[in-house]
Amino acid sequence: MKIWKSLLIFSIVLILIVQAGCSSSKSSSGDGDSNGVVTLKFWDFHSEAEKKFFQDLVKEYNTSHKDQVKIEYTAFNQSDYTTTKLPVAFANEEGPDIFMVSPGDFTKYAQSGIMADLNSYFPEGAKEDFLPASLEAVTYQDKVLALPYELELLGLYYNKKMLADKGVEVPKTWDELQAAAKKLTTDKVAGLVLPTDKGPYLNFIWYPFLWQQGGNVLNEDGTKSTFTSPEVVKALDYWGSFFKDGSAPSKLQYGPWDASNIGTGSAAMTILGTWAVPVLENQFKDVEIGLAPIPTPAGGKAATDAGGWKMAVNSKSKNVKEAAKFIMWCFAEDSSRPLKWATEIKFAYSPRQSVIKEGEKIYGEGLRKVFTEEIYDSAIPEPRYGPEVVDAVGEAMQKVMFGKVKGEDAAKEADKKIEEALKKK
Amino acid sequence: MNFKRKETLTAYGFLLPNLLGLTVFVFVPMVYAFYVSLHDWNALSPKVFIGFDNYKKLAEDKDWWQSVYRTFIFTIIYVPLLVGSSLFFAVVMNNIKKKFEGLARTLFLLPFAITSVISAVIWMFLYDPRNGFINQLLDLLGIPTQQFLGSTSQAMIAIIIVILWINLGYNMMIFLAAIKEIPTDYYEAAQIDGATGWRAFWNITLPLLRPTTIFILIVTTIGSFQVFDQIMVMTKGGPANSTMVSVLYIYKQAFEFLNMGYASALAVVLFLIIFVLSLTQLRMYSDKD
Repeated sequence: MKIWKSLLIFSIVLILIVQAGCSSSKSSSGDGDSNGVVTLKFWDFHSEAEKKFFQDLVKEYNTSHKDQVKIEYTAFNQSDYTTTKLPVAFANEEGPDIFMVSPGDFTKYAQSGIMADLNSYFPEGAKEDFLPASLEAVTYQDKVLALPYELELLGLYYNKKMLADKGVEVPKTWDELQAAAKKLTTDKVAGLVLPTDKGPYLNFIWYPFLWQQGGNVLNEDGTKSTFTSPEVVKALDYWGSFFKDGSAPSKLQYGPWDASNIGTGSAAMTILGTWAVPVLENQFKDVEIGLAPIPTPAGGKAATDAGGWKMAVNSKSKNVKEAAKFIMWCFAEDSSRPLKWATEIKFAYSPRQSVIKEGEKIYGEGLRKVFTEEIYDSAIPEPRYGPEVVDAVGEAMQKVMFGKVKGEDAAKEADKKIEEALKKK
Repeated sequence: MNFKRKETLTAYGFLLPNLLGLTVFVFVPMVYAFYVSLHDWNALSPKVFIGFDNYKKLAEDKDWWQSVYRTFIFTIIYVPLLVGSSLFFAVVMNNIKKKFEGLARTLFLLPFAITSVISAVIWMFLYDPRNGFINQLLDLLGIPTQQFLGSTSQAMIAIIIVILWINLGYNMMIFLAAIKEIPTDYYEAAQIDGATGWRAFWNITLPLLRPTTIFILIVTTIGSFQVFDQIMVMTKGGPANSTMVSVLYIYKQAFEFLNMGYASALAVVLFLIIFVLSLTQLRMYSDKD
């Protein structure tokens, strides 16, 4: 019996050790070490040149703030970052002090109060420099919860040679786009590449077709669904038509956001954002690519999305102030850093008017000129609906794409789900 | 302390490390999942106790029951296919020349050694409508291009083929080992009575493989109710939800919607479904013994 008892004690001790091992790290994260240096965790999802940009920023900041702040930078892969890394870390109260948030996740985090109010940390006059719409997109209950640092616009990219060979003019209207996509489709070439899998990106590409007619998913104050409106139905049916007649492939080899689709010649046209410009210029120099605004329906007006990530500070961090200072230093103070990000590292628009002015010359080069002169003015910030609304919209789209369902019926079903999701909040 | 007692104690001693691991990583999380399922929790803010509301909600959740139905369909197609084909290849393997057996076994087992995500990606390339190998093959035969993973009617079958390809070799090995255990005397005796080939298989091999078959049936059924990774990589449940199986739906609720409480309730229900199913299976087969 004695052995039994000691065994029992042994196992209890072991369990305690394991438990302690799990939780001991909690106390060590977040606070400064003995000599007063504040340690901040910064989690990112960027890769390659973009990752290096942020790494260099951190390095520079750490050197200039030696003995005060030490930022620890970690980069994860993008799909893990949003789906598992951040939620799990926040759930265990081990979230990073600084992190990135997209419009797709914004509402989720805003409602849980995980993002700190940045209002008081903006340097003098900086707020006025930001485009009002870009700040509006990150404001929740009068609190500015994230710092926008890029605006990515969408346009229609096309392969000049393929269009010329088939005698197709650059499409300007919905009907022309439909006809062009059909004509350009061959065994080896997709007429028009659109995203196929469900997710925020699918909706992101579709919204312009809805907005062009003046439609929207929710009413203005976001309290009611407007998803059964004729504009929604029309945009759904139009989107579905490309998949039904096979001019848009129903499965892609590259990601739908990947410029390789058009760069490698496996697509004649595709709707992509500003991010594709440097890729096409560097990796696919030999292919002649043109760019035009997204075609509009009869009687509609031009519209495009302005997407892009934002930087946020963990409201539960012990060093909100230091973390906020860092992100302001990155993108709200000196214009050299946002300019480098938006023109050298990638191509996007800075939400700051002064930065755009400073980069005027670059914004007028090649394909960028089309974005600046023909597309920029029609930009509408990407909506920040909650995940259930995003899912309901995506489901309606999937139904018209693959399910032989009419836009009207798909819209009705989604409308119910959206109403339900809104009621929950 | 007598000898017997000492022996039991030693046995438990050896089991202890494993038992501890199971407790910490399996049993505690399971109980915790049930605890979470009684709460409204989005992982970011504190849990709110709501009793059995999540269970009431899931009873009426059409999408959930549809995903359960799809999982059933998957299981009903996949399990017989896997058991049948792995048994078939095991018998074939048992009859080929020793020289080739090693090579053939390795070839069959190879897919099992590949990470599931990588094999899913390989098959995505094969299935591609424009440049995929399978469609090029069909093209040679004069069959029009198929969408496979992009088609609501073909995606599930296409995925079943991939998972079959992965698991065939492993299950075949289990059957093969069991076949080799059967004493050759039986076959010799049967031969004298004039029973060879098909009859020998039907009357000797198959009945003696019963325990193995039951084992594989149950394990595969449980496994197919938990199917996730390949589908996550290849279709994410699409197109139009045609491959949205239960675990994928749970994942969506948990990590896309952050409905941790609701997702936990779904997981508990799925666990119960699998549990009842395995129990019935076990009953059904062992009753006859």
